Amino acid sequence: MNTPRISPETLRVLQSFLERPTDWRYGYELSRETRLKSGTLYPILMRLEKYKLLEARWVATQEGVPPRHTYRLTPNGLELAKTQLAETRPRWLVRQPALSRG
Amino acid sequence: MLEMPLRHAATVLLESAIRIAPPDTREWGQAMCGELSYVDGHWAALMWALGGASVMAKHALISLLIPGRRAGMPPSDELLAKNVSLRKTALVAGAGCILMALLFFGAPPFRQAFRVALRPWYFVFQKASGDIQPRFEALAKRAEVQHDPVGLAFCAVRLWNSRESARLAEEAVRLDPNLLWVYAVVGMRHPELPQIGQWTARLERWDPQNAIFRLIEAESIEQAHSHPIVGSASTEEKERAWRSAMAAAFQSPKFDDYLDRVEELNRKVVPRYRFYDPYEVQSREELDLPPSAFENSQRFAQSLLHSGKALEARGDRNGARDHHWTVARFGQLIDSQGRTAFEHWAGTTLQAMAYKQLQTSSEKGGNQAEAALFGYLAARFDPVSGEHAEFARESAFGRYVSSRNADVVETSGLMILVFSGLLVVAAAILIAGSSVSRRTRPAAQRAKPLATMVVLTSAVGLLFSSVTLYLTYRPYWYIFQGAILNGGRSQARDLRDFLMAAERPPGIPTRLYLLLDSLLYSGSPSFLFYVWTGATLLGVIGLVLILLRHFRGRPSSGGLQNHPRVP
Repeated sequence: MNTPRISPETLRVLQSFLERPTDWRYGYELSRETRLKSGTLYPILMRLEKYKLLEARWVATQEGVPPRHTYRLTPNGLELAKTQLAETRPRWLVRQPALSRG
Repeated sequence: MLEMPLRHAATVLLESAIRIAPPDTREWGQAMCGELSYVDGHWAALMWALGGASVMAKHALISLLIPGRRAGMPPSDELLAKNVSLRKTALVAGAGCILMALLFFGAPPFRQAFRVALRPWYFVFQKASGDIQPRFEALAKRAEVQHDPVGLAFCAVRLWNSRESARLAEEAVRLDPNLLWVYAVVGMRHPELPQIGQWTARLERWDPQNAIFRLIEAESIEQAHSHPIVGSASTEEKERAWRSAMAAAFQSPKFDDYLDRVEELNRKVVPRYRFYDPYEVQSREELDLPPSAFENSQRFAQSLLHSGKALEARGDRNGARDHHWTVARFGQLIDSQGRTAFEHWAGTTLQAMAYKQLQTSSEKGGNQAEAALFGYLAARFDPVSGEHAEFARESAFGRYVSSRNADVVETSGLMILVFSGLLVVAAAILIAGSSVSRRTRPAAQRAKPLATMVVLTSAVGLLFSSVTLYLTYRPYWYIFQGAILNGGRSQARDLRDFLMAAERPPGIPTRLYLLLDSLLYSGSPSFLFYVWTGATLLGVIGLVLILLRHFRGRPSSGGLQNHPRVP
């Protein structure tokens, strides 16, 4: 499986998706959760979608308001997210006690 | 109050960006536009739109650079594939620029320009190592091995080491007696040599009417006078000997500095040994009449004019005029038979001095027509307001242009080094980021986008600096080639001015450079170079520290785990 470059910002997005893996998520909602700006978030979403790790669809909300784009990880995306976050976790576990001691 | 206009501006901005974006990314632009209505705060909405517009603009730029690129293509590792990443595009563009810049090194003018551009630094290291003319010493060894008198003579007239210069000159004359004139050129450069008396005796037999041997002899006596040796002749005896040599020089009907023969040597030796170093072949005033010779001439001329005035005061007008005419004739000789600007200037200055005295003498004698003629000649040759002054103004402008060009060349050469250094560092980061796992070198991974940007900008800078260096130096290369191949001297002064200006660090005016040199480190410019090198190194260290701080300050991928929501 081809995977995109996983930057720390991408990990943040994947982690956000993993919190509610089956939900369709809005871009602005993801931006607030990950604290990423639109200029950073959307290239990540575009790249994940290009690699078939993310699926997107349009949903109509209210009349007179433009439809919204929503996103959800594909099964491949979920697998990648879990793998990547699991890989980075042990280092954090080693560092965490020292950081949280005080 | 501002909310509506700001929201409206944000929408307009994003919609405009969507219009310039490639079709396959417009959907994403619409997605960002759709979210705009839900962004809390009007400034936040504007920032959201700015971020979205930058994404659209980036894709528009990529599609412009790679027309066939489409987001929907499946991923491929092939370089220059239609879906090639921006990083690969940047690296390919950077490699192209580097290749083009390297191609310049194939051009002889560029190689020569690069050496000239690095001259201040080269000079520092030469000075520091005490090896001032290593290339000449190597050339002299080759000429000795080959028993090449012309090669030996070429080195002899240029070596700064007087003993070695004398040894090579004697060896050259031993191999080819027709090169006897080399003694005169070496003697002008190194009048302190003990062989001078012996050399001038031989030279006078070979070319009996030349004034230059007498000038060398006088300078040699002057040097001995300045640095008296225990047991040597008394001051009066030396003064008598000096006056005798100068009187003989002023009576000589010929002046030949053998510069044409030196140029003939250049034409033979430079192509034979491929010694295309403009500094050693063309620069400096070494090939001109040395200033000491002019100072001696001026001092002797003043004493002659003074004694002429004394004779006139005693009523010996003819005797006085003989003295004045002796000075004028010698000035004419130097002016008409000299080959360099300095020699012409020296000759005209002597003539101006003499004609002023002749004018005064004619006025006293009541010959107004003659006085008017001498007055005209004195004004014409006056070093401040005469014809030479015009030449001085022109040469000052030439020096200004040469100085500017030298600054451009030096800065370009320095920038080539700086960009090359940045390229090496960025390439090392990219290689480290590609060859090791992300766990072991997360910093290298994080630095990859920045390193890519550095590669691209440095490569463009390298190419730009190379083009600038080549174009700026090219005219001087042609002047040098013209001088070597066919003895062209029409713009030799420009080349010398340029080379002299290129010896000091860029941006430092000549006057300030000379002042600092004399104040801080009399006799050698090394101290200034060290100061300049130190300042540059401090700047580089500061930059490295800033970059290190930047990388250490950024959150690592591991640091993400501090987030409480990580499972």
